[in-house]
Formats: sequence, structure tokens, C-alpha cells
Amino acid sequence: MKRPQALLEPAGSIKLDDYIVDIAWSDDAQQLAVAGGEGKVFTLSRTAGTIAARELGEHGLGTLAVAWQPKTNRFVSSGQDGELRLYDAADGAVVRRQRPAKSWTTALAFSADGRHFATAAGKQVSLWSADLDLEQAFAPLSSTVAGLCFDKPARDLAAAINGGVVVYRQEAPQFPLRHYPWSAPCLAPCFSPNGKFLATGTQDGSVHFWYLATGRDSQMRGYPGRVEQLSWSGDSKYLATAAADTVVVWDFSGKGPEGSRPEQLRGHTERIACLAFQPNGNFLVTAGLDWRVSLWLPGKSPAALDAHLTDSEPSCLRWSPDGHYVAVGERHGKLSLYEVVRL
Amino acid sequence: MGPPHNFQHSAAHRREIEAALLTEISRGLDGVLDAGGMVVGCRVRYSGHGHAVRYHVAHMATTDRVPVTVLTGFLGSGKTTLLNRILSENHGKRIAVIENEFGEVGIDHQLVIGAEEEIFETNNGCICCTVRGDLLRILGQLLKRRDKFDYIIVETTGMADPGPVAQTFFLDDEFKTQFSLDAIVTLIDARHIEKHLDEMKEPAEQVAFADVLLLNKTDLVGEAELERIERRVRAINGTAKVFRTRNADVPIDNVLDVGAFDLQRALAVDSAFLEPQYPFEWAGLYALEAGAYPLRTGKDEHAHHHHEHHHDHHHDHGHDHDHHAHGAGIGVVVLPVVGSNDEALAGAIETAVRAFAEQSVDVACGGSFAPATAPARLDLSHDGSHFELQIATPGHYALFFEHAPAEFDLSLADRKPLAVRKFASHHHDEEIYSIGLTDPRPVDPKKLNDWLSYLLQSRGEDIFRMKGVIALQGEPRRYVFHGVHMMFDGQLERPWPAGEVRMNTLVFIGRKLDRQELEAGFHSCFA
Repeated sequence: MKRPQALLEPAGSIKLDDYIVDIAWSDDAQQLAVAGGEGKVFTLSRTAGTIAARELGEHGLGTLAVAWQPKTNRFVSSGQDGELRLYDAADGAVVRRQRPAKSWTTALAFSADGRHFATAAGKQVSLWSADLDLEQAFAPLSSTVAGLCFDKPARDLAAAINGGVVVYRQEAPQFPLRHYPWSAPCLAPCFSPNGKFLATGTQDGSVHFWYLATGRDSQMRGYPGRVEQLSWSGDSKYLATAAADTVVVWDFSGKGPEGSRPEQLRGHTERIACLAFQPNGNFLVTAGLDWRVSLWLPGKSPAALDAHLTDSEPSCLRWSPDGHYVAVGERHGKLSLYEVVRL
Repeated sequence: MGPPHNFQHSAAHRREIEAALLTEISRGLDGVLDAGGMVVGCRVRYSGHGHAVRYHVAHMATTDRVPVTVLTGFLGSGKTTLLNRILSENHGKRIAVIENEFGEVGIDHQLVIGAEEEIFETNNGCICCTVRGDLLRILGQLLKRRDKFDYIIVETTGMADPGPVAQTFFLDDEFKTQFSLDAIVTLIDARHIEKHLDEMKEPAEQVAFADVLLLNKTDLVGEAELERIERRVRAINGTAKVFRTRNADVPIDNVLDVGAFDLQRALAVDSAFLEPQYPFEWAGLYALEAGAYPLRTGKDEHAHHHHEHHHDHHHDHGHDHDHHAHGAGIGVVVLPVVGSNDEALAGAIETAVRAFAEQSVDVACGGSFAPATAPARLDLSHDGSHFELQIATPGHYALFFEHAPAEFDLSLADRKPLAVRKFASHHHDEEIYSIGLTDPRPVDPKKLNDWLSYLLQSRGEDIFRMKGVIALQGEPRRYVFHGVHMMFDGQLERPWPAGEVRMNTLVFIGRKLDRQELEAGFHSCFA
């Protein structure tokens, strides 16, 4: 089989003065918002191979997450000071501040149209308007929310908790709630882009998924540790997962992954810290604690197509929404951009 | 984990400290500020998942894995005092404390498990594999800093079971590489521990899990009571290091960086704990003329100063105490011996063991007893008991006491023993206790593995801690292991010293363990 050809072409890097906890891209891939583990919030603007950084502010004791509001020039940050801030990326001003709960807001999720915004703070899931007005504070769940995600049409919002995944349907005012039970601490929920599956990683070394049409569930076991890295390919054919140094890719085409052997992508020598499929595409990028960023094409090549070394442990990896660029953040503050180039 | 790197104390970090400090002061909290020498410290409390996290920031060092100390103990045992001491001491370490707000609030009368101590059951709900979900998240956050902490201290609520906290560090591979569980430190309120042990199950579990026991508030109880408490907690946990403290004043080295879970450090077990079982705890050798010797309670000078305020010794707790319930009395065997030294005393041990197996003779208060090959049971049910030891033939006599006589302030008037020997207590008054096994026969690795697997599966819930040093057949290195419930970690370590007996040592701390069963199981592992 001829090896497919593609490269991760370096597209600039910058050293920021903080541990990079989270990165969010603007729709046009010209700007990024960056959350610093020690509290800083940055915006980066990307022009012809150079990156300019601007420090916008600080969340006391640590920033936890950033999320870009689709279709706008704004983004939200949350921090260990308990605040949620809506920033205008143009002038760096804080448009809105909220202090939603006693607990830290650890998970942020915008719907694809930018009109819905969800947060999780402790056991509390809340819905906000596009201008960060509280629209709905749901009844607290039975345990702390470990992850949040919208499905593609932003009809359903999934929250992973200890004991399963809870899905809120966006139909005000009732917001009917469905529970997908699984007796393990669930970590990272994700809907397949085609809306057929809901998958989640768990603390006890398994991936669990449900057929949304029927509610039937299935489990994929055998991971050496907790699974919190999951990503669907753009065509919903593959679910890439990792709990250690190997990427485990499940094939959801045809009869589905049950009873099948997953494809195992080997190349990293340490735990894979982050992985993400290209939005609307099938390229996969991983970043490992072996200080390596790798490009893969599951189903076509068992080996990495390209790899680059980082300067410290990678901590965050995000594709631009257009699927052209990958941003990789590191423990020691370096942020590198790569462009995916087909040869 | 990549090449090593050194950190600078960044200006940004200082700003964070200052900002945090301002927040602290503005909130009017009980902060501690050290400013002197190299140390710039502050305590910051802020809420997140129901926890207040305090940062004590000083100049920093880098270590590979961050040692984590788990601090347990009932409300009022002095956890907060100890934390304040650790945080304010000029040791130049960066310490993060994860504490539960319930402890800080000090609701002594409401012993409620903090709802925010979120217990996750893994492996499909197995109780022995519970972990603390909130810790997973908070520790995950602590990792997201360029500079690591020197130490992390996790303070649990008073009623908390330390198991899930400890297991959190076994369960997760990432945490295994980032953190090392250093030790479980349990504080004991000397004034209330006996009552707590009698009335609740959690204090015994906290004692059982501990690597270090701080017997605190020793200024509030007498020496005899302390002896009794120490004996009692030792019966539960035979391997922990015990320190007596006032105001939780203990050298920081005794509680931090203890390395209790470090397999590379030799398994340090109190050697007395591994001695064979004896039916007595104390023996003294006396030179006695013919005559009557009064034996009284309440003569112990050390105990005198403190005695007024603690008459209630909680003797009749609800457990099955049988004949060795302290309130009922104390067995004594007096034997003539030849010689006046330790050897003479040691020579009488076997006879004493046989004597204690005989039917005892009750001696009421005011009664007398004499050297015999059966124990005299002295009735100590009321204060100020007195007895007479009748000696017909002058010579040397060994007195074997079922319990340490100091515990009852019992003393032989005007006589000092020429030799004294203490014996480990093996009475299982408690539901939770320790069992130690030693044997020099080499072990078959396969058989050991099978037995341990079976043991963990069948008794994992009841075994709180397990440690061992094993001589495997044909293996020059020592196999060392430790476990918390069903979590198990073991590896080959340093070679056995040349010329030394390759002695297998196993210690189990748990609930209702059966020594015979454990012994038989272990004996089935010999090669």
C-alpha cells in the first residue's frame, strides 16, 4: 500500500509566560484565545507566519478554560476565581462578567451557531445566552460534571458524570432530560458528527457508547488507564481514543465496532496527552508526553505521516474550525501552529 | 517524562501571591503570613468543589514526583493546628494543602461526611476500588502549573475513610507518575480517642491506615492513660510510627517525606510487633526477702499530676472483652528465678507462658497471693485496690503481668525491678488489628502470586494495609510489596545482605483477620 503523503508544516510559534491549559480558535483561524494555568488570558493574532500575543487579563490562581463564540469575535474564559468572562477579542475588553456558582467552572461549550452556551461548575450545568445572561440553571446532578458537549445541531447537550451521561434537550422551557447510565465515572462525552452515537471515556479504563436511536449501549474495555482523550473523525467513521502511548481507533462503519479489533497506531513512547481529528476531515493529530506531535491518517496508514518535537510537555491541542491548522500548547508556555499540507 | 528543567520564581508568580494575599486579607480570614529570609508565604482559601485550597509559597525546588501526605483524624484532634504549623514553619518548601471546608468550620458536634468528598467507585462498583473524584480533578488542576509543589497535603474530614484517598494514587497511571503517596498521618486526640474507638468505627480505621500516628494533646491526659492508649492503637496498627505530641508539635520530618510507600526504603516494622505472642505484656525481676509485699494501684508518681480530671477510663466498652477486659482485673504470675539479670528473666518466659495457660485464681481487693504456676487475677474494679504478695523464701522473683502495670498505676511498694522486659500486645480487643508473620523459608513466586490474588479478591475489603518483604526462591533481591485494600504494588528491590537470614516479613492490618488462615495461606507459598 502506498503511504499517503501529508505533512505538519510549522506555521509559527510563540512563547507565552504561562502553562497553556486551553486554546480556542476563532472561526476564521486568524485569532486564538489562550488560557494560562497560572491565571493569564491571552489573545494571539496570526498573520503570515508571525504570531502576536496580547495579555488581556488574569483569573486569580488559574484560568481553567476558554471557548470561542462561533460567528463572533468574542470568547469566554473561566477561572479558579469562580468568574466567567466574555471578552471582545478586538479590543480585549471584558464585555460581561458572571460568577455563576461557588465552584469553579471547569467545562465550557458553545453550540455551533454560537447562540447557546453551556457551563459546568461542580454538579451544576447552566445555559447562557449569547451575551452571557443566565437562561437556565439546571437542578444539580448527582456528581460533579467531568465534561460537556453539544451535538452538531445544538439540539442536545451532554454532561458526563459519575454514573453515566446526562443529555439535556434544548427545548425550553422543559429541557427534557435523558440519562444514559453506566456504572463508572464518565469523563469526556462526545456526539458523533452524524448524530448517531454518543461516546464517553471513563475513569476505569473503558470507552462506552450508545446508539442514540435505540439507546442500546456498548462498552470497549482493555485500556490501561482512564480514557479522557476521544475524538470522532469528520465522517463519523472513526472514534480515536487513547489512554496510554497507543492511539486506539474504532471503526463505526458497517456493523460497528462491537466484536471488532481496533486499529492501533503506535509511535509515541509516552502517554498521549491530547488527540483530535480534523474537523470535517480524517487527519488525526496527537501530542504525547514524549514531547512529540504526530500526524496520522487512520485506516490508511498505521504509521505517523509526520512528527515534530516540542520544547516541553504538550498540554493542549486544538484544530482550527476550518481544519487547516493545529495549535499545540505546552507546559512551559510555548504555543506552536502547524498547517496540514497534503503532498 | 522529558529532560529535567529548573524553574525560576517568576515575577508573575509573585504577583499571584500578592493578589492572593490581598484577597486573603480583605476577606479577613485567619491567614498566616511569614515574611522573612527566603520565605514568602501566605494562605489562600478559595472555594472550588467545596474545597479550600491553601497555597504556601516559598522558594521552590523541583522533584520528580510530588509526595502527597494524607492527613486524617477526628475533629479536634489537631489537624488544623498541625497544618498551620507545617505551613508557617520556615522550611522553604512549597506546599499545597487540599482541605475540606467542613474541617475548617469546626462543627464538632456534627460529624457529617462532607458531601463534596466525592467517592467514585471504579471497576463496576467494587467498594475496595473507590477513589476520591474531587481529588482527581483538583490534583489534575495542580499539575497545570509550570512549577510543581514540593509537597501536597490532603486533609480529610474527621469522619473520612482514608481508603479512597490513598487508592486515588494507586489507581491512575498518570497520577502514579506525577505523585507519590508519601504517608498517611493520623492525629489522635489523646483525651477522646478511647471514647471514639468505643463508639464509632471510623477512628479505628483511621488508626489502621496510618503510617504515622500522632498521639496529640498528651498534656491533657496522664502517663498511665497514654500508655494504655498507645497500647490500644498499637494493637490496631502494629507498624505505624507513634509520636506523642502537644499542640501537634512534631518535627516536620516526622510527617512529611516519610516515604512510607516507598518500596526502595526498607520495610520498617516495630520488631516487638513481630515477636511471638505472649499472654503477658510486662515482666520485672525483683530481689525479695521473705515477707509480705503490698501491691497497690494509684502509686505511679508520673500519673499523679494529671489524674483529677479523667476518672472515666471507658473501661467497659461494647466490644467482646472476655477475660482481659481491663476493668475486670489483671493476671499476675510470680516465679522464682536463679540470677538477677535479663537472662534470668528471659529464662522464666517459657514457664510463665505455661503458667498463664492455667486456670487463674481470683484475688479480691485486700487479698494475698504467692509465687505459683497459675496466674493470680487481681480484682481492680475499684480505685485504690491493694493486694499482698507473700514471699516465703528469700531470692529472686520474676513478676509477669498480663498488662503493663503502669497502665493501672500498679506497683510493688518500695521495690525497683532489677530487670524489666516488655512484650508486644497481641490481644485483639478491637475489631481491627494487625497481624505480623515471619518465616525464613523461601517462597515460590507463582504460589505467592496466587495466594495474594486470592486474598485480595476475597478479603480485600477487610484488609486496610498490607506490607511485606519476601525471600523468593533463587532470587538474590528482596521482593517488597504494599497494598491498600485491593490496590497492590510490588517489585524486586535491594539484594539481601550477605550472611543475613532471608526472613520473610508480612504485615496485615484489617478487620477481623484470622491469623491461622493467613499463616496457613502463607505457608502454602513456600517453595
